[in-house]
Amino acid sequence: MALASRAFLWTGAVVCLGFAVIQLIRPELKNPPVTAEIQAPEEVRQILRTSCYSCHSNETKLPWFDQIEPAYWLVTKDVKKARRHLNFSEFGKLPAAQQKGLLFEAVNQIQMGAMPLPRYLKVHPEAKVTQDQVAVLRNYLVPPSTASAAPAAAADTTAGDAQYGKWIKQSEGPLEVQKSPNGIAFLPDYKNWKTISSTDRFDGGTLREIMGNDVAVKAIADNHINPWPDGTVFAKVAWFEQPDGQGVMRTGAFYQVEYMIRDSKKYASTKGWGWARWRGTDLKPYGKDAKFTNECVSCHEPVAKNDYVYTMPIGGQQ
Amino acid sequence: MKIISLVGLVVLSSAVGCSKPNPRVETRLNEDARLMGELTPNPMQGKVITSWVDKRDSTMSTLYGNDAAVNYARRNAEMKYPAGSVVSLVTWNQQEDGRWFGGKIPATPKSVEVVSVGTGYSYQRFEGSPLKRVENTEGAAPNERAAYLLSQRAAVLP
Ligand code: HEC
Ligand code: HEC
Repeated sequence: MALASRAFLWTGAVVCLGFAVIQLIRPELKNPPVTAEIQAPEEVRQILRTSCYSCHSNETKLPWFDQIEPAYWLVTKDVKKARRHLNFSEFGKLPAAQQKGLLFEAVNQIQMGAMPLPRYLKVHPEAKVTQDQVAVLRNYLVPPSTASAAPAAAADTTAGDAQYGKWIKQSEGPLEVQKSPNGIAFLPDYKNWKTISSTDRFDGGTLREIMGNDVAVKAIADNHINPWPDGTVFAKVAWFEQPDGQGVMRTGAFYQVEYMIRDSKKYASTKGWGWARWRGTDLKPYGKDAKFTNECVSCHEPVAKNDYVYTMPIGGQQ
Repeated sequence: MKIISLVGLVVLSSAVGCSKPNPRVETRLNEDARLMGELTPNPMQGKVITSWVDKRDSTMSTLYGNDAAVNYARRNAEMKYPAGSVVSLVTWNQQEDGRWFGGKIPATPKSVEVVSVGTGYSYQRFEGSPLKRVENTEGAAPNERAAYLLSQRAAVLP
């Protein structure tokens, strides 16, 4: 009895001491100056300020319970990472197209329940973005009036035509294509795979076909699509949309082709998929170094529970 | 101290806890967009020639070809398909991509058109759910719609 209670006291003392000691380990979290805050209507900024600024801005304000270790350590790590990805205090420095892309991504991360981070919402329920607030953000990006607007003016087809002219003539001679920085070799046969869906991406003005190799097509026929079997490969091809002035958008110049290659062992560190992308008709590998895959994985994160795959496949290819 | 450790524990446990699944992420096939009915073969067994979107009626179309058609279209700009070519256009009604605001994906099939090139040209059109043949025209020359489909140049696929 006495022994047991002494042991209990000792354990208690060690836990308390440990807790006190970790309070001293404080990574530094500074608030750098706000240099180019996002320009948007006040109601949009209000939502971002309430729900996102504690991580995605230089105006981080931590409540007292986040100042205590180990919470402080976790939050600091999140804030540093979050600012690197998206910082509303320096947002205005980005090119307009990138700003727009990030805002679409932001709405999607919210809609899919990926942002604010679920673990953060548990302790900060007030940061949850409501349905009404999501509607405000969506209407800001795609004003309801644009749905019935006049068709886009006919595009200048010179670039697309020139690209087609070259491609159609040289299709005998295969290109010498460099590997992706993470060591993945180009798969030229993607154009002969079956399509599993298509997307009209009006956010960035591209048309896309999503293709799957034979393993993917068989997995669809068997409805074994989570997890996808080893050997599955998807290719997503994007072309710039080319409006004809009458409301039809055709595939214009080729933009890029990107792959997800399933090998659960080889690519274990990137969620079981090998990621790679080649841009332009000269098929230039995308990414400065192998870390470019962080970009792919973090944008596919909201569909982690769907094996990191966005596309809802249409069956019938077999 | 005890209260503080409690707070710490709550924070820590919620940090490793799990969240409830979002219906948008639920794994499923796009069954509504599948081509069902009087249609053999399913054009999606073919390869892609090109695609387009019609904003006026919110549809998206993919033009497929059999091997003869695709091999021709990817190497020749004249668009005079040889005998044996089959070119099919699948047109879907669009829906917002539930997983990506900013994108639209196929919702339901609106029509399927099949042009076969032999000694002459045949044009078939399928509509409805399940798809039923509503038109079947044959002639020495392609009809207007068939000629339109046969004139679409291939999308660049390097
Ligand atoms: C608790 C901190 C936290 C909060 C609050 C938070 N985020 Fe994040 N966010 C992160 C972290 C950490 C990452 C990086 C995730 C990764 O690398 O996988 C991130 C990544 C993102 C990305 C991906 C950026 C990229 O480069 O791909 C977007 C978009 C995003 N957050 C939007 C939001 C929005 C919008 C809100 C508010 C509604 C929000 N976040 C609130 C921590 C947070
Ligand atoms: C800004 C967000 C974002 C980033 C970054 C991103 N993806 Fe995706 N990806 C998507 C979306 C959304 C789809 C669904 C199809 C569509 O809308 O075009 C998709 C689809 C795909 C597909 C088809 C299979 C599927 O998951 O649906 C492949 C392959 C793919 N992406 C590869 C990549 C690679 C490789 C990278 C990094 C070089 C990457 N993606 C980066 C958003 C992203």
